[in-house]
Amino acid sequence: MSSVLCPEIPAPGFSFENCRRNAMLEKKGLSIPKAQKTGTTIVGIIYADGVILGADTRATEDTTVADKNCEKIHYLAPNMYCCGAGTAADTEMTTQMVSSQLELHRLNTNRVPRVATANQILKQYLFRYQGHIGAALVLGGVDSTGPHLYSIFPHGSTDKLPYTTMGSGSLAAMAVFETRWKPNMSEAEGVKLVRDAVGYGIFNDLGSGSNIDICIIRKGTVEYLRTYDEANKKGEKQNSYKYPKGTTAVLTTRVIDIEEVSVRRLDRVEAMDTA
Amino acid sequence: MFLTRSEYDRGVNTFSPEGRLFQVEYAIEAIKLGSTAIGISTNQGVVLAVEKRITSNLMEPTTIEKIVEVDKHIGCAVSGLIADSRTMIERARMECQNHWFVYNENMSVESCAQAVSNLAIQFGDSDDDGAAMSRPFGVAILFAGIDEKGPQLYHMDPSGTFVQFDAKAIGSGSEGAQQSLQEVYHRSMTLDEATTSALTILKQVMEEKLNSSNVEVMTMTPDKMFQMFSKEQVEEVIQGIFHVEHPLSLNTTGQKV
Amino acid sequence: MLQQKSTYTDYRNNAAIQHQFSPYADNGGSVVAIAGDDFVIVGADTRLSAGFSIYTREQNKLFRLSNTTVLGCSGCWCDTLTLTKILKSRMQMYQQEHNKTMSTTACAQMLSTMLYHKRFFPYYISNVLVGLDEDGKGCVYSYDPVGHCEKRTFRASGSAGALLQPLLDNQIGQKNMLNVKEEPVTKEKALSVIKDVFISAAERDIYTGDSILINIITKDDVKVETFQLRKD
Repeated sequence: MSSVLCPEIPAPGFSFENCRRNAMLEKKGLSIPKAQKTGTTIVGIIYADGVILGADTRATEDTTVADKNCEKIHYLAPNMYCCGAGTAADTEMTTQMVSSQLELHRLNTNRVPRVATANQILKQYLFRYQGHIGAALVLGGVDSTGPHLYSIFPHGSTDKLPYTTMGSGSLAAMAVFETRWKPNMSEAEGVKLVRDAVGYGIFNDLGSGSNIDICIIRKGTVEYLRTYDEANKKGEKQNSYKYPKGTTAVLTTRVIDIEEVSVRRLDRVEAMDTA
Repeated sequence: MFLTRSEYDRGVNTFSPEGRLFQVEYAIEAIKLGSTAIGISTNQGVVLAVEKRITSNLMEPTTIEKIVEVDKHIGCAVSGLIADSRTMIERARMECQNHWFVYNENMSVESCAQAVSNLAIQFGDSDDDGAAMSRPFGVAILFAGIDEKGPQLYHMDPSGTFVQFDAKAIGSGSEGAQQSLQEVYHRSMTLDEATTSALTILKQVMEEKLNSSNVEVMTMTPDKMFQMFSKEQVEEVIQGIFHVEHPLSLNTTGQKV
Repeated sequence: MLQQKSTYTDYRNNAAIQHQFSPYADNGGSVVAIAGDDFVIVGADTRLSAGFSIYTREQNKLFRLSNTTVLGCSGCWCDTLTLTKILKSRMQMYQQEHNKTMSTTACAQMLSTMLYHKRFFPYYISNVLVGLDEDGKGCVYSYDPVGHCEKRTFRASGSAGALLQPLLDNQIGQKNMLNVKEEPVTKEKALSVIKDVFISAAERDIYTGDSILINIITKDDVKVETFQLRKD
């Protein structure tokens, strides 16, 4: 009997048991989905008055930059935000779904939702999909019990930490936190630290890049600083690449006369049927 | 003489106490038995002319081949052991093709001579590179070619030594021919002049009477490159010899005519 | 990702385990070259990377083979090191054997044969060889890893090659445009286009960035220039 608590002992070496099945399925026209890995640097810290989240804005597709300025800090609730790394669609859909659940929860209970609740919803949801939902999250917020920061892994495990990093640039960013983070930092200090941590990810991790977004969550207020810092200035082109008129070939031209259209206004407006 | 040499003239890899390699020297002697070949280099091109010894009238003269094409831009005249020369020409051709294959350019005449020279000195003990020749090649070669430096003539002897010449004669009549060349050669010589001179001198040093079937003539020019003379072309040059023979007034003292 | 790894020591055995070793690494990098009537310019970014990390931000990928010939390499860096080392010695051997410096055309052919000699274990490099030919005209030769050689007047290769080549086709080759004057590319235009295309490449290709090193080859000399790119 195999269970999560008592897993079966895996056979040594690689397992090839599904190779023939997969080959057959592929032959029948099923394309094996390509694992998409999106590099990211997302970070979060707890400071004196709350939580600061930070993220880069690069989205990659293999080795090309797909989006140079995407938003990785997602809204969950007025007092909670969540940074997402991993498969872009998964992080977006997961946070949106949890956001709606939290709103329903707030309406049902008439209370500001707690960060622990969001964490619980997220981990249970991710665990149900056994890691197939590729969302690695940094959840931060302030509730009646104070500031909280969680990191949530795609398989559903979570950590509650005073400072954390995620994504391909997590090591670079964590290096900054490990040297400079201390309890009860001021907001200015905290923002500077988060900026630098994301900056280290941006410069040292090829999967991360472009700008730095920061979100400061205090008790009662939130400051979302989109493009807090442009880590890199875009190079200035030497030439103009404007094409003079007539450069593009016109293959065929067809002129269609538009018939005259008359517009008639009805004086008597019928009421909408609300019966 | 014989007695003093007997100890050292057998091995090709043994120097005599005087510092000589007799086998190599004998090989150089051997080429003096070969048929005469003459090469003249001019600004317009290079000409090679060789004597073919037709020892029997039952022989088919066209099968004696002493001027060969190595590449479009290099031709060789050989004298000595013709069988040995085949091996060397084969190497020259291979090196030229290999150079073209690797560098997409013509091999220079000097490099070609260098490559053949490397083969010429590979006699003696066999080593890892395979079985070596047991004796030096008994061949002297004239390389006539055109490269980026223009028309050039090189001479190589069995020791592998190669030197550039304006004009050079090899083979049995080489001594007299070389002297004649020294007298007729001048820097502004035309190719036609050189061709006539080469045949005139050849005629003087040959035992047989020179005719269109017992000589081979080849010119190397920038526009036509390797050009072997046809029987008719050779005849035409021979005709010319009789007209210019007296005006040229070659010093032929002691030469058989 | 956090993983709990059990080793199950009691069940460890000596059964055969399949391993796969890849002899190649992709260290990225891009090379762009443009030839003119009496010059040729080649530029290569200076970022050396693997996976998501940067090894160095200042790696020269242009190799001076002679006063008129330069080779730009991108791909597997260890192969580049080996190939260029052999090339350097071959250049010297040629110089000594033939008493002349190898021409760009000869070098182009030699590189092709050298690459093909490793047909079944190729050097994993995209090479761009540039130089002046015997007439002093600029030329660009581009290669695939097994020795296919093509002579052209401009080329983008490496990790951002596919991104940049269409841009060069348009800007230098004047492709897909009407009413354009056909005029030879000037040195200034070529230099500015090279800088601009690298700016674009750094925007979209994660393996291209940091800075570029440019060699401007004319009959008089080889000028070296650097240009900064974004570093993220």
